[in-house]
Amino acid sequence: MDLFLQYLANGVVIGSSYVLVAVGLTLIFGILGVVNFAHGEFYMLGAYAGVTAVTLFGMPLPLALAVVLVFSALLGFGAEAILHKPMKNRDATSSIISSFGLAVALQNAALLTLGPQPRLLKTEFSTIPIELGPVFMPLQRALIPVAMMVLIGALYLILRYTWTGRSLRSMSQHATVARLCGVRVERVAVVTFMVGAALAGVAGFLMSSVFMVHPIIGNMIVLKAFTVVILGGMGNILGAAVAGLLLGITESMTSAYLANGLRDIIGFVIVIAVLLFRPQGLFGKAFERS
Amino acid sequence: MKKLAILLVVALVAAAPFVVGGYETNVLMNALLYVILATGLNLVAGYCGQFSFAQGAFYGIGAYTTAILSRDLGTGFWFNFPVGIAVAGLFGLLLGIPALRLKGHFLAIVTIAFQTIVYLTLSQWTSFTGGQTGLPVPSIGPVSLFGTTLFEITSLRSYFWFTLVIAVILLFAVWRLLQSRIGREWIAIRDDETLASAVGLDTTRGKLTAFVGSAALAGAAGVITAHAMRGVTPDDFTIWISATVVAMMIVGGKGTFIGPIIGAVLLTSMPEFLGGFAEYKMFLFGVLLVITVTLLPEGLIGRVRRLRERFS
Repeated sequence: MDLFLQYLANGVVIGSSYVLVAVGLTLIFGILGVVNFAHGEFYMLGAYAGVTAVTLFGMPLPLALAVVLVFSALLGFGAEAILHKPMKNRDATSSIISSFGLAVALQNAALLTLGPQPRLLKTEFSTIPIELGPVFMPLQRALIPVAMMVLIGALYLILRYTWTGRSLRSMSQHATVARLCGVRVERVAVVTFMVGAALAGVAGFLMSSVFMVHPIIGNMIVLKAFTVVILGGMGNILGAAVAGLLLGITESMTSAYLANGLRDIIGFVIVIAVLLFRPQGLFGKAFERS
Repeated sequence: MKKLAILLVVALVAAAPFVVGGYETNVLMNALLYVILATGLNLVAGYCGQFSFAQGAFYGIGAYTTAILSRDLGTGFWFNFPVGIAVAGLFGLLLGIPALRLKGHFLAIVTIAFQTIVYLTLSQWTSFTGGQTGLPVPSIGPVSLFGTTLFEITSLRSYFWFTLVIAVILLFAVWRLLQSRIGREWIAIRDDETLASAVGLDTTRGKLTAFVGSAALAGAAGVITAHAMRGVTPDDFTIWISATVVAMMIVGGKGTFIGPIIGAVLLTSMPEFLGGFAEYKMFLFGVLLVITVTLLPEGLIGRVRRLRERFS
């Protein structure tokens, strides 16, 4: 039982990073219809930005976090100009291909400039252990779910109660009607990309103390984020948050009780099953629109 | 006239190894394999309108089928080749079943999930697939008919010519298939599925045959690759291979016969023209991909056709 709780806690930590990446991905997909394969690169570059800020410039963690937020948001700004602005009125395949191209370019740019050697973030929080009953982990790791909840909570409030948030939601419901009602579509697109990239970048930074940072970490995380997006229902933020945590926990349990090799496969198997039997996602509602 | 031009191109390609060095021959052979892969993808995505991101998985299934068969049963290329094609086609049928119910993004994601499962299985199921280190595969070796050895396929050149022959045969088969009733059914399904089923076409059969055909071509390329490389590793069959094949089809022009061929040749040979910038080749590959998709949404062939219409 004690071990079970430890696995559960590990799953929640990993799941939190999936939530942060997947929520951005589902926002970009739900609002703009862009299937963004380059989303994992926001995660990767956010991790590098954070590690550099802490180890090279000796910034304290909160300041480094702010740097990562701004840096990733700028990345999102640039990505929107490449992936969305010139691609309006095109089918989703175009954005799939061009975001794949962007992902390849960013990965190799990182490989050329930063080198292939992996890095790990170590801060003053890495060595402080905390114990919650039988569960044990470094403080820095325990901060990941906390940071996730704060960010997703803030995002939820913004979407619910601010004008920007309302225009984002109206875009996801019906882009044409939103435009007719005076929503500034271009601005919404930029904001969506910036928010999505910032969340992914922060996730990368937070996880840089758990997993090694190297130029191709974005590959697997973006695929997993896609599975989370499907499980939660395309464009459904709350669904993505729940599904992300569930995936993290499922993976942790699978590697603990079944086999470590199955850890990365399980999510994709679930996604195929879900799409076959419940294509609207675990939490989505089925609806038809002309 | 057209036939003559095709013959001339094939003859020129066949003569290439006499002119260029071993490295270039290798690049050309890669290009041929990608021509098969991209043409296969074009069947399902270009003609039948069902997006697939799993071509790399079928490629891998073909390659691993021959690797595992030659390890466990000791069978040679000529037995493994049809088996590899059949196994890949069977998996194509499997993937085609969810495709009957899903469209657009959802279909794309199922194919991505399938691709990832296949890759992870190849890399994790060490006892069966050899894991990350992969498996060795013997050379095709001597080819004999009625007891007399005709020629040997061991050198790079012989593999190149052999691949060329197979590619030409497969492309011809695809060409005939597209002219046939089944090819026209695919186009009808792509253009309007409801209409296609309303006029009495079996859209289920149409979609499944497109998936099987596409996977079978990739399987064929996989078997040849495994023997030519003398081995298989899971990293040769990642989602990035699938995405590259998709890119080739899109850059050339999907839904046209010649488009994916041109796209495959261009994207395989492009990094080689960079010369001193070889270090940056993958980076430039990504940048060029973004630029091409942004500026030429209908692909090179689509753009050429439109320009021709405008001037005539």
